[in-house]
Amino acid sequence: MDATDIQILIVGSAGDGTIAAGNILRQALAEAGYKVISFDVYPPEIRGFGKCIARMRATIEQAYSLKQQSDVMLSLDDSHAIPHVAEVRDWGAVLYESKPVANAPQGHITGHIRPGQIPYGCAIREISEKATGANRSRNIVALGYLAGLYRLPREAFHAIIDRQFKKRGAEVASVNRKAFDEGYAAGAGAFKLDDVAFGPPKPNVVPGTVVEMINGNAAVVKGCLDAGIDCFFGYPITPATTIMERLATEMPRHGKRLVQTEDEISAISATIGAGFAGTRSATATSGPGLSLMQEMLGLGTMAEVPSVVFVSQRGGPSTGMPTKTEQSDLNSALFGGHGDAPRIVMAPTNVEGCYRCAGKAFEMAEAYQTPVIVLLDLYLSNRYETVAFGQKSPFEPDVNKRPRKQDLGAGYKRFALVEGGVSPRAVPGDAGGMHIVTGLEHNELGRPADSAEMHLAMCDKRLDKLKGALVHPDFTVAKRFGAMGKAAVGLLAWGSTFGECLEAMFQAEKEGIDCSAMKVVMLSPFPEEAVSAFMDDCAAVLVPELNHDGQFARLVQGTLGRKVVKLTRVPGVPMRVSDILGEIRRLAGRNLPQAAE
Amino acid sequence: MVYLEEKLKEVQDSGRLEYRSKALPTWCPGCGYFAMVDGVAHALNALGIPKENTVVVSGIGCSSRFPFFLDTFGMHTLHGRALPTATGVKVANEDLTVLAVGGDGDGFAIGCGHLPHVAKRNVDITYLLFDNGIYGLTKGQTSPTSAKGFKTPTSPYENPDQPLNPLLMMLSYGASWVGQSYAGQPDHLKEMIVKAMAHRGFSYLHILSPCVTFDKTHRTYGNLGMTVRPVPAGHDTTSQDAAMRLATGGDPPPIGVYYAVPRPTLGDSLDGLVVKAGGELPRRRGTARAAE
Repeated sequence: MDATDIQILIVGSAGDGTIAAGNILRQALAEAGYKVISFDVYPPEIRGFGKCIARMRATIEQAYSLKQQSDVMLSLDDSHAIPHVAEVRDWGAVLYESKPVANAPQGHITGHIRPGQIPYGCAIREISEKATGANRSRNIVALGYLAGLYRLPREAFHAIIDRQFKKRGAEVASVNRKAFDEGYAAGAGAFKLDDVAFGPPKPNVVPGTVVEMINGNAAVVKGCLDAGIDCFFGYPITPATTIMERLATEMPRHGKRLVQTEDEISAISATIGAGFAGTRSATATSGPGLSLMQEMLGLGTMAEVPSVVFVSQRGGPSTGMPTKTEQSDLNSALFGGHGDAPRIVMAPTNVEGCYRCAGKAFEMAEAYQTPVIVLLDLYLSNRYETVAFGQKSPFEPDVNKRPRKQDLGAGYKRFALVEGGVSPRAVPGDAGGMHIVTGLEHNELGRPADSAEMHLAMCDKRLDKLKGALVHPDFTVAKRFGAMGKAAVGLLAWGSTFGECLEAMFQAEKEGIDCSAMKVVMLSPFPEEAVSAFMDDCAAVLVPELNHDGQFARLVQGTLGRKVVKLTRVPGVPMRVSDILGEIRRLAGRNLPQAAE
Repeated sequence: MVYLEEKLKEVQDSGRLEYRSKALPTWCPGCGYFAMVDGVAHALNALGIPKENTVVVSGIGCSSRFPFFLDTFGMHTLHGRALPTATGVKVANEDLTVLAVGGDGDGFAIGCGHLPHVAKRNVDITYLLFDNGIYGLTKGQTSPTSAKGFKTPTSPYENPDQPLNPLLMMLSYGASWVGQSYAGQPDHLKEMIVKAMAHRGFSYLHILSPCVTFDKTHRTYGNLGMTVRPVPAGHDTTSQDAAMRLATGGDPPPIGVYYAVPRPTLGDSLDGLVVKAGGELPRRRGTARAAE
């Protein structure tokens, strides 16, 4: 069967090793050659009994989002797992502890499994105790049981387990391998009644590429390194922290520098200081940190200094929902500062896009001498995908526009009003390039000047030069998928939600609805022509996004003066494909765009 | 006239005018800040630091207009953010000589949160704090170093707060070089700026300066001239304890070097991380010095 498309769900309580088991499983699936997309949900507390979920979907070709229904669920804690039994499809499997120490408050899990779902009880605890002398390896035993049941390649798991546990010693690795093997034997011997079947995976055949199982934040880090990041300054904040943590390990290996600052204001100040000094520098934060950075980002725009800011959005406002995903910082990213302060804002739609945007952000910051914000969100930061990376960096190491020798000296105009608006920039160390940058409105020399003419000329310059970003080499600012001609319904989306849009589009196409989808990666400057042309083709345009007010819908409507249909959700988790599909059906049935407000 | 001509010749011959820009300072006649521009130009000249390798970073305030009056690289940033910005410049390029300048409001009100961190990291920059005890640029409001009882437009009855003690703070934060000078003694100031800049690590020079426009009663040339005295001979500049006692002694405390100890800089530590991680250090002019 070559249409392998299997979603596995592991549910447990904090401390059960749920995420750890999920981590091993998705890596093993990727190692075996499947394409994987995976996203975990965990509580904001480190300790306690909060619910942890690891969810992954293994396919032959890369999927764009998770499915609403899972094929297999593995319960490591029945009280948390019982509410998710309904998520398992008919003829799917539910794996659970057959000899629980105590029943869940809702009763035994088997009482919740509906006819058609196939129960597999396994004495997980007993096997763990027999294999390792402790019940700590329950998650590994259970994983082994699942792998055995579906005859997944044992060697792939062994390799991952060895890698995972070797830092805790060879003994720990071998004990866990034993736990896995005992579980595997039990699973392999279980009589299989469900119809879940893994077909053979398709090997990676793209020459010169290496497939990595990687999440959005790790892809950002890879993009930073491949773009030759010199300096990073940051302050920990969920869900951006792992960018900084990974860079803290990687940057010194490349002779580069990372400093943990005292707050986000300091982080962006130092980032801009390092940008002024001529290096590629960046910081990473989430919504609250972005709010703190706004004033300094305004200076970045005014002083025309390159900087890159990665913002991984979470539920807001204020402290909001730190471990839940949302796309509600678009307004803040676009318009958060005071004054007319344009900047480049881009949002990748998948993990590979995180890599590409990260690298390109450095190029654009340098080429257009401006702050660049890369908008991620918790869903994208933490979701894993299998991505094929080339072995050579696709990013340009230096795209600075430098002054000619004859322009340096006493009359050097750092902010010369030139065609295109990008003035040649000298950096400290360049003889004759001395100049002052200032947050005050200034003339071409950089001296304070606030005449009406100068303010207008400089406002124009700061806005116009960003247009280059719309035609920046090797960068997709917007892209259309699905039906290319006229469509009944067009999905217009940004960021992580675009994956769900594509899945909804595929299903709508199967239902015979003419459906098309466009992802908008570049949000500022806004790709008006591409979006407008797309809207021309669509009888109705639906904008699904994870915020309360339809921030992107408002951007489109405000920029183009055309109505779209909003679809907003704020559940803290990715949008349901069925919600989008329902709207597509409704709009296709009527074929009329509905007033948005 | 002979005196003025001699003085002019001395200034012209010194070479320090090379470091001055053509822009005329925006300060009021009599402002202590004029002495500081001259002092910094003197120090850069005396230490032989090329203009293009110098970056002067400031925040917002009267004193923060400082970078415009020098012919070096400069950043006139945001209120309170000179130090973190200067940190970024130095981390990016260890070959640069980086100065942060600002006033009492910029440094000890809005920017106060950055002070302990730049001090503990021992970033190799020099911070010149121009303390006039008032917000001059916004026309004379109370500052964090204004005396208790001082009357200003924002404290029309009297300032209800006691002033901060910047010297004591910087000493307790672990700054590796701390000193004080007075704008009314330009030669002392020049010498102190040279010493502060010659220090490898974070140096904090507190400069007492009158605001001749908005403060006619407290921190005047008259009052300071009568009370400023030098650090006593025999003061042990390696003793944090002795330095802290000096900082709490007198109003104002004496002028001179309070504390000066060698300590690895942030740059040294970051280079150490590269070595630990097995990375290769970037080639830079200052590397030889760092390796010493």
